[in-house]
Amino acid sequence: MSIAVGAERPVAAPNVAEDLLRVEGLRVVFPTSAGGSRTVLRGIDLSVRPGEIMGLVGESGAGKTTLARSILGAPPVPGRVAGGRVVFRGRDILALPEKQLRRLRGHRLAIVVPNPRGELNPTVRIGDQIATMASVHLGLDRKAAKARALAMLRAVQIPDPERRMNAYPHELSGGMAQRAVIAIALICDPAFVISDDATSGLDVTVQAQILDLLRKLAAEHGSAMLFITRDVGITAHFCDRVAVLYNGEIMEVADRNALFLAPAHPYTLLLLAAFSHNPGLRQGWSVPASTPPSPAACIYSGRCPLAQPLCRDEKPPLAELGPGHAVRCHFPVRR
Amino acid sequence: MLTVDRLFKQFPIAGSSKVVSAINDVSFSIAPGETLGLVGESGSGKTTIGRIIVGLIEPSAGSVRFDLPGGRQASGRPPTGKVQLVFQEPSESLDPRLKIGATITEPLQALSVERGAWRRRVRDAMGLVRLDPALLDAYPSELSAGQQQRVGIARAMITEPDLVVLDEPTSALDPTARAEIIDLLKRIQAERNTAYLFISHDLSTIRFISHRVAVMYLGMIVEQGEAATLFSQPHHPYSSGLLSSVLLPHPELTMESAVSLKGEIPSPINLPPGCFLASRCPFVIDRCRVEMPPAETVGAGHSVHCFRHADVAATRPASKTFEAFMAEAERILGRPASQPARFVPKATERNSHVRTS
Repeated sequence: MSIAVGAERPVAAPNVAEDLLRVEGLRVVFPTSAGGSRTVLRGIDLSVRPGEIMGLVGESGAGKTTLARSILGAPPVPGRVAGGRVVFRGRDILALPEKQLRRLRGHRLAIVVPNPRGELNPTVRIGDQIATMASVHLGLDRKAAKARALAMLRAVQIPDPERRMNAYPHELSGGMAQRAVIAIALICDPAFVISDDATSGLDVTVQAQILDLLRKLAAEHGSAMLFITRDVGITAHFCDRVAVLYNGEIMEVADRNALFLAPAHPYTLLLLAAFSHNPGLRQGWSVPASTPPSPAACIYSGRCPLAQPLCRDEKPPLAELGPGHAVRCHFPVRR
Repeated sequence: MLTVDRLFKQFPIAGSSKVVSAINDVSFSIAPGETLGLVGESGSGKTTIGRIIVGLIEPSAGSVRFDLPGGRQASGRPPTGKVQLVFQEPSESLDPRLKIGATITEPLQALSVERGAWRRRVRDAMGLVRLDPALLDAYPSELSAGQQQRVGIARAMITEPDLVVLDEPTSALDPTARAEIIDLLKRIQAERNTAYLFISHDLSTIRFISHRVAVMYLGMIVEQGEAATLFSQPHHPYSSGLLSSVLLPHPELTMESAVSLKGEIPSPINLPPGCFLASRCPFVIDRCRVEMPPAETVGAGHSVHCFRHADVAATRPASKTFEAFMAEAERILGRPASQPARFVPKATERNSHVRTS
């Protein structure tokens, strides 16, 4: 098996200090109307190195957006972090006072979200919205901030940027509004960018342009990215490593070649088989979902065609199957 | 079975003399038991075509003709129950206050089917889409998105239509649910010989289900032909550009293409003279800006509106990427013949970010 991406990195004992951002055992719970609580993230472990694009794929309800927001210390209301750490450059950012956290967010840590029009202030000109970020976080004066905003609009390849500086959000197309949101996220040169399904609402030809842009900007600025999506196909071409999220747990994480050419977890195989035109292939990985497993069981055991009694008795750890390839399964597929 | 001939649709803009030209001279046909995939970006007019066919909106010009089994012909509005529509957002197209059974029954009222037969017909329709009969009394909010879309399909199928217009029926769904719905639609088509107009912006889904494909751009079908032929050798720069943006879940398989489209779809208000793609097209020549290219036949059932279609086709050899991907999928994703061995990780090999808790 060839590993094209990251092959130059040492494969033995990864150096913890090398990680730019590390999520350790992150648990997020939501209160329920019945007075109990529902666990949405069940101990997420994830690390992203400088300059790396880490993909995170999962279906609706897997906890993708909750993870994106929790990494920034702001889980969706009314969720709360019930355990774990988010270590950014050696510091646990979840332990920081809100004031310091706010200084970090939008500056060193940025997020790009879908539905750009919902994110932009409809009453403020695009140029001012972008420039505000630079004046608040970088302390630039009005003129310098505006100049930087204009440079950013140019960098995200908005046509006619001088004129668009004065445009209101409703005057931009969806693709251009998404570029403006990216400009806001990147103007302070963040070290870490989270893209939460940021290209999902766009047409395919525009999506291709935005992906090119994100990759180019990440490379130029040396920033790392967590690229969250439900479109598995994008991650095969855009990301260096890919993690598969199911029901609040990471099931498999690997370099993209390993994940797509030698997937080991039955859930990863089910996800990928959805793109095959052969129904038989899909049926091999799909079983009618049965009753939710007990807390001691593997969370996927109710849907897993390979499940054994052991899987219902004992939850498997996320453990290393090969260099850089970890899987949460007692019976991973190895070919 | 369905023949659409030189269809036009213009929408007036309130308070202005301008019009939105949503459909510009569209012709196509669908045979019984056939799926025509209609693909294009937002604003290309796909949904408008679907709505004209089911009779929800009137065309400005052109005709829609149904040749139905038994020799009956109908023009304009289709005969009740013979043409059905399935919507994109299953959660929004179901009445939240109506139980599933009542939702699926509704079309039978319009058909004046005897009440005594309703219960059996609903159960048959639910069986057809593999919905648990226990869900008869459930409300839409209790169902998953995939189940909700099955309800939408059951509601369409209960009248035993000859043609179903499926308007982005899988776009709101996760990949696994999407694949299940496609399998379901193909099975129903095999059982009942139903024809589909399958509208989607997702080329891989279109490739999955369609016999023939029509590519739309700014209200025009710029190219149509057999799915396998069009996907392997597109003759229109726009089809080629669309195909190059398909991202298959395989890092080594990309859709090679000489066309990378820049910019966005122009406004359908006051369309430019000449070819609508001229402003974005890498193959553009002066003639394209003044004259609309006529439809040219480039193969059996394969037509294209482009002066330079031969050059577009010649830029690359016919692609076998989809076929290669399917072959790879068999190799990578096949179920192993026997139960994989137990995996016992060695504690010393564990990664720093990998923990056992």
